Amino acid sequence: MTWRTIGSIQESPFHQLDFRSKLMLLLAATFLAFLWESPALTAGLALVVLVLCLVAGIGLSYLGRMLRLMLPFYAIVLLTHGFWNTNVGRTPLWIAPETWWLIGGSLQLTLEGLAYGLMVIFRTLTLILVIPLVIFTTDLNSLIVGLVRMRIPYKIAFIFSSTLRFVPLLLEEINSITEAQRLRGLALEKMSLLQRLRVYSRVAVPLILGAMVKSQQIEVVLASKAFSGSPDRTYLHESSLRAVDYALIILCMGIVLVALWLRMASGLGRFGLPGW
Amino acid sequence: MSRDAIVRIENLSYQYPRSPGLVLRDINLSIHKGEFLGIVGPTGAGKTTLCLALNGIVPQFYGGRFYGHVTVAGLDTVETPIHQLAQHVAMVFQDPETQLIANSVEDEVAFGLENIRVPRDEIRRRIEWALATVRLAGMEEKHPTELSGGEKQRLAIAAALALQPQVLVLDEPTSQLDPLGSQEVFATVRELNARLGITVILVSHASEEVAEFVDRVALLSNGELAGLNAPSQIFAQADLLPKYAIRPPQVTRFYLELRNRGFDPPSIPVTLERAVKVYDHMRTQIELKPLAVPEIATAEPPGSVLFSVRDVEHVYPDGTRALHGVSLDLREGEYVGIVGQNGAGKTTLVKHFLHLLEPTSGQVFLDGQDVTNLEVSELAQQVGFVAQNPDNQIFNTSVEAEVSFALRNLGIGPAEVAQRVEESLDTMGLVDYRTWHPLSLSKGDRARVVIAAVLAMRPDVLIFDEPTTGQDYLGARRILDVSRQLHQAGKTVIVITHHLYLMPGYAERVVVMGKGIILLDAPIREAFHDTALLEHTFLAPPQIVQFAQRIASRENRALPVLAPEELAACFAKRKGAG
Repeated sequence: MTWRTIGSIQESPFHQLDFRSKLMLLLAATFLAFLWESPALTAGLALVVLVLCLVAGIGLSYLGRMLRLMLPFYAIVLLTHGFWNTNVGRTPLWIAPETWWLIGGSLQLTLEGLAYGLMVIFRTLTLILVIPLVIFTTDLNSLIVGLVRMRIPYKIAFIFSSTLRFVPLLLEEINSITEAQRLRGLALEKMSLLQRLRVYSRVAVPLILGAMVKSQQIEVVLASKAFSGSPDRTYLHESSLRAVDYALIILCMGIVLVALWLRMASGLGRFGLPGW
Repeated sequence: MSRDAIVRIENLSYQYPRSPGLVLRDINLSIHKGEFLGIVGPTGAGKTTLCLALNGIVPQFYGGRFYGHVTVAGLDTVETPIHQLAQHVAMVFQDPETQLIANSVEDEVAFGLENIRVPRDEIRRRIEWALATVRLAGMEEKHPTELSGGEKQRLAIAAALALQPQVLVLDEPTSQLDPLGSQEVFATVRELNARLGITVILVSHASEEVAEFVDRVALLSNGELAGLNAPSQIFAQADLLPKYAIRPPQVTRFYLELRNRGFDPPSIPVTLERAVKVYDHMRTQIELKPLAVPEIATAEPPGSVLFSVRDVEHVYPDGTRALHGVSLDLREGEYVGIVGQNGAGKTTLVKHFLHLLEPTSGQVFLDGQDVTNLEVSELAQQVGFVAQNPDNQIFNTSVEAEVSFALRNLGIGPAEVAQRVEESLDTMGLVDYRTWHPLSLSKGDRARVVIAAVLAMRPDVLIFDEPTTGQDYLGARRILDVSRQLHQAGKTVIVITHHLYLMPGYAERVVVMGKGIILLDAPIREAFHDTALLEHTFLAPPQIVQFAQRIASRENRALPVLAPEELAACFAKRKGAG
């Protein structure tokens, strides 16, 4: 498994964009997600980002996995807002019968609460989708050069990129450690959650020790390759913004400014406006 | 010597901050411009430390106590910063995974050049040149993980080469490679030395290759320089193995053995070609005894069928087809070697035995039961699997806890646990280490802890996956001796390896795999002498087999020997000769 193939299948127009313009897209989407409190608008935003993900060739299976992972969290969000968000809740959909102990009569599920919960879900969905959209479509080298161009210290950019480089290696290692444990009679499938957590904590010991040995090896390797962490170096890859990058950056800024102006002038995006 | 010294080591002694004693002791060594120097020595002799002293990592990175002087290209390695030395001394390390740090082949080569501020156009030129030199042109855009082991190491060499160093240091660059990968690396290095005149310093356990390629050999033992001479002198010493734990080339062992038997070879050769020439000289003195070699046995091995593999195919989720219809029977009480180059499907195959993988199609039966109906933890009690890297199989804080780990999981009573732990520790010679932390042991001992832990489950079958990788000769032998002992005690043993020369004396049957199919399944003598097939699958037959075949064609008879001693026993003094 390599970084380049996680989730993304082929080159897309997105891969051609500079990291900085994609970062702008990420910031704009994040800003809008927090600016807007209207379920309809946040849903629209999440949908746009989802479509972009599909255009960029991020696999449906990856997206499906992410959603499945988030599902319990979303259920909790929906229920807590639905039942307990008293700030927005006005229209009861269901009220607990009076005969229920303690909560009878007072606990109610409100339409506005549910709507607010949905909005929070769409908001986080936007964030969850936009990050892979930017990261997975960026070659690691462009990422590192892009970061350096944005005046992030070279050493930090390098640590960031090499961490990503070694993630697949680490996953392989975790796999072989758990395999070794199963071969010594650990039957994960028969264990309770608590027992499993104990087992996972055991994986950490060889993993961390192995990582420490490796990281020292890598330090020696880096030193041997004349690496000193100094930003005073040359770069093989250029990082230049093309017209399409400028267009995207301007578009993102434009949308953000317009949305901000509309919000202040007419309240667009505020929660609870008719027709949300 | 008339040539200039490019590396001068004077009275070098060194101690790491936390090592109990000196790791290098009073070393004096001059390496000449354009020389190809081999460094040999058992594990712990100080070979890696000596390499790291050449580019200043010892002592600048590690600290510790450093005595004496090392100069490379006139630069003192203590006073000159590492990144400056790196332009003169380039390094290639053992592990292909950790020494490739970039995300594409071209970036890997560019990394060092960027660090020393080479302009972009020049970087482009050097990438092209370096990749062409190691025959990786056209792979610029690939991710390093897409390369084979040999290609990865050649890439590491290209990255080193791009710095245009005067000295290239390679620390066991082939120890994790299969024979094909090793060949690629040795051929590349030799060409660099011969064609570009780069001074090469190479650490290796591969005696046959070192003897053939290098100009001089430095023999390290306990941190001291115990010998420095031409390979023909170093490897021909009769006490090399007993005194320094270094395995001489197999042809050398053959001639030493002949000498032990009262013959008088004119010289002790260290390469295959010389060995054949010396033989031609000796033909007037010696003759082959009739029928000195055991015939190739073809009888079915005893025991009932244990594993029955039927038309197993395996396709990994990423689409790699690792097995294409493998069928195989393994019988109780056999000792089987599964050999083949990296990627041949050896590990994939045995993982099916343990239900760690499920066949995409086909079936695997253990005692007539389909293994996919059994849990891994159940199977593991019957089939012990010792995987490749011992460090990924150790998760306890003492040797004793490690060995009892499986037993506690299986819910065995304390008295029984104590007894089995005792038994396992005893078999593996680890009784004295029971309270030690496994990670404070040497790599060879850690491997034995893992074996002990597997043995405690009292499995009937033991599978060892590349048990000798990263071990020196004696370490490898020690592990294989354990496997033989277990076999003699009635267990079925399966060993996966590409170290063919280690198998004689252990395996009885050899399964040769290549590209996901079984190419040959035969008694070891037959398999090892099918040299055409082995070479076709890029597995070099052991040197002694190649030598025996050269003799066999001269004498016009079959010589299916597997070991130097066995071949030596085939000869008698020719009547009438002195």
